[in-house]
Amino acid sequence: MQQYIIRRTFLNIFVLILVATMVFGALRIDSDHVVNTKAQGCFQDVTGDVEQCKAIARADLGLDSSIFDQYRRYMTDLAQGDLGNAFSNKEPVRDQIMDRVIPSIELGLLQISIGLAVALPVGIISAIRQDQWIDYILRFFTIFFLGIPVFVVAVFVILITSRWFEGTFVADWMGPHGSGWVNIWEDPIQNAKLVFGAALIGGLASGAIIMRFLRSQMLEVMRQDYVRTAWAKGLRERSVVIRHALKNALIPVLTVIGLLLGAVISGNVILETIYNIEGIGFYVVFSALQFDYPVMQGIVLVVAFFLVFINLLVDIAYGWLDPRIRYS
Amino acid sequence: MAQEQAVPAAAVPAAAEYPLRKRASAWQNVIKFIRRKPLGALGFFLIFFLIAMTLGTPKAEFSVPELPHSPLGFKLGQPWLAPYGQEENFKNASGRLNTHAAPTTDHWLGTDGSGRDNWSRIVWGARRSLFVGIWALTLATLVGTFIGVITGYFRGAFDTGLQRFMDALQAFPPLLTLILILTLRPFTAEPSLVVAAFALGFVGIPQVQRIVRGVVLSTREQQYIDAARVIGATDARTMRYYILPNIMASVIVVFSTGLGVVILAEAALAFLVPQAVPAEGASWGLMLQTANADGLATHPWPGIVSALAIALAVLGFNLAGDALRDVLDPRLRVG
Repeated sequence: MQQYIIRRTFLNIFVLILVATMVFGALRIDSDHVVNTKAQGCFQDVTGDVEQCKAIARADLGLDSSIFDQYRRYMTDLAQGDLGNAFSNKEPVRDQIMDRVIPSIELGLLQISIGLAVALPVGIISAIRQDQWIDYILRFFTIFFLGIPVFVVAVFVILITSRWFEGTFVADWMGPHGSGWVNIWEDPIQNAKLVFGAALIGGLASGAIIMRFLRSQMLEVMRQDYVRTAWAKGLRERSVVIRHALKNALIPVLTVIGLLLGAVISGNVILETIYNIEGIGFYVVFSALQFDYPVMQGIVLVVAFFLVFINLLVDIAYGWLDPRIRYS
Repeated sequence: MAQEQAVPAAAVPAAAEYPLRKRASAWQNVIKFIRRKPLGALGFFLIFFLIAMTLGTPKAEFSVPELPHSPLGFKLGQPWLAPYGQEENFKNASGRLNTHAAPTTDHWLGTDGSGRDNWSRIVWGARRSLFVGIWALTLATLVGTFIGVITGYFRGAFDTGLQRFMDALQAFPPLLTLILILTLRPFTAEPSLVVAAFALGFVGIPQVQRIVRGVVLSTREQQYIDAARVIGATDARTMRYYILPNIMASVIVVFSTGLGVVILAEAALAFLVPQAVPAEGASWGLMLQTANADGLATHPWPGIVSALAIALAVLGFNLAGDALRDVLDPRLRVG
């Protein structure tokens, strides 16, 4: 196990170096445009000629040296956690990402918690009452939330809250708010109001995926011999379902939660933009509209880093929870 | 011999008395599918409707007389189901632009902020969604299947190396990568649908490759693959004639499920970063983006209509993909 963790960590580092190299390449596909975009900021400071501005921008970006030097410098900076400066306000990208990572993590965690809170009871009931009317109703809702994209649901929620629930507490909690963003430590209640709508929509979407998987796992486990033994011993239904079946059905669900994170991050880009939550996704769209490349690169790198290591954690937890899994 | 003769001839019925089981006609098969998979049938219905929306007489020089505006008015170059052109602005009685009209008999899904007919724009937009979806998925499936078959078949160091590369590609968060690619200048100077489609396809390659590789890994252990090797088939021949036909079902399933994902991604991209996709022509994502910017509370119709179009298209491909998977390849079933 230890060996496995060490090997996987090294492999992940290798994967991340590849990711960084590709991102490095993306900026250099058309460096002229990047230089021009950066030089635009310079016109306000130096009333000089365009070429001078471009030369400064080129030097700033390190585009004046050979490609190998550039690569080496980029990688050393990266290893030290330096993601460069944003074009728009010339502040370090790292600090800006740090500022905005909290709302995103908050939204992501809330989503997954809501998803689990919905999926656990629904998945269990729908499995132990298979093909009864309650199973059909629950499965219909799952298919609904699986099929309907997050931002379509969001649009309808906004429409309904702002048209018929204007000024009520429903609009307060579910509707979008203006540009006034508050962090969780400034005003937790206001913050919760801002995030809750987005988290509920995203949470139901992830809950649908978890529930579908949990249901099929439960159906499989409920047919195992040891569950029949538990029934035969005369245990109560609750004990059979929760203590015997659920425990084993939950383990594979863990991997789904790992896979879900990618979807949650992509979904967050949309939800944060619609709901004006100033997290990573909001920031990346904002930067894309201004062609702020260092910010976009930085965010892609940070998110990739996150995804790769969360997946490693999930795999490790999987092996730890299920002794049948042997990594070699 | 003696015993056979003991059976009286009358006990053995003539051949005609066993009715031969007729082969089910195509129509009967369709009915059977609808009965067994009602949701899948709904999905196929949505897909056929989506395809029907894209149909129209070509813009070419055929000398067909121009017919008046009406549904099924067969105007040249215009989808049959679209009563009006995609950029036609309508005026109301007082001569102003008829903006944000509620549904009427003329515009039965209302008009948008520039006085254009919502239903017509939905129909026109279907072409764009399907165009992007099919090109992106074609790229992703061709390349993904090619790499998947090779890596799954050869295994070894080659597989491991390429797999790490694929891991790196998969570590990119898809939507963020799309935004990053499409805001690079060569692509934004003149946003084109083909570029958007290829970027979407590129992002999809590792996903397809991973699924295909998994299926190949189990297929290559089959006895008929060993048999092929024994009769001296080369690696290329084994892959082309023995493995590929046997994974086709999985590839078809991946294709149909993927189309929904790509159509959704294109709409999300247009919604988030409108300058990354061409502004001319109707697009569901752009319609939703404009509707959202105009204020959904005051002018709900364009938003409702475009959101429903996206949702139904995605739902259609998901349901059809699920049903296809159950019928063609239950191995891919996740939950």
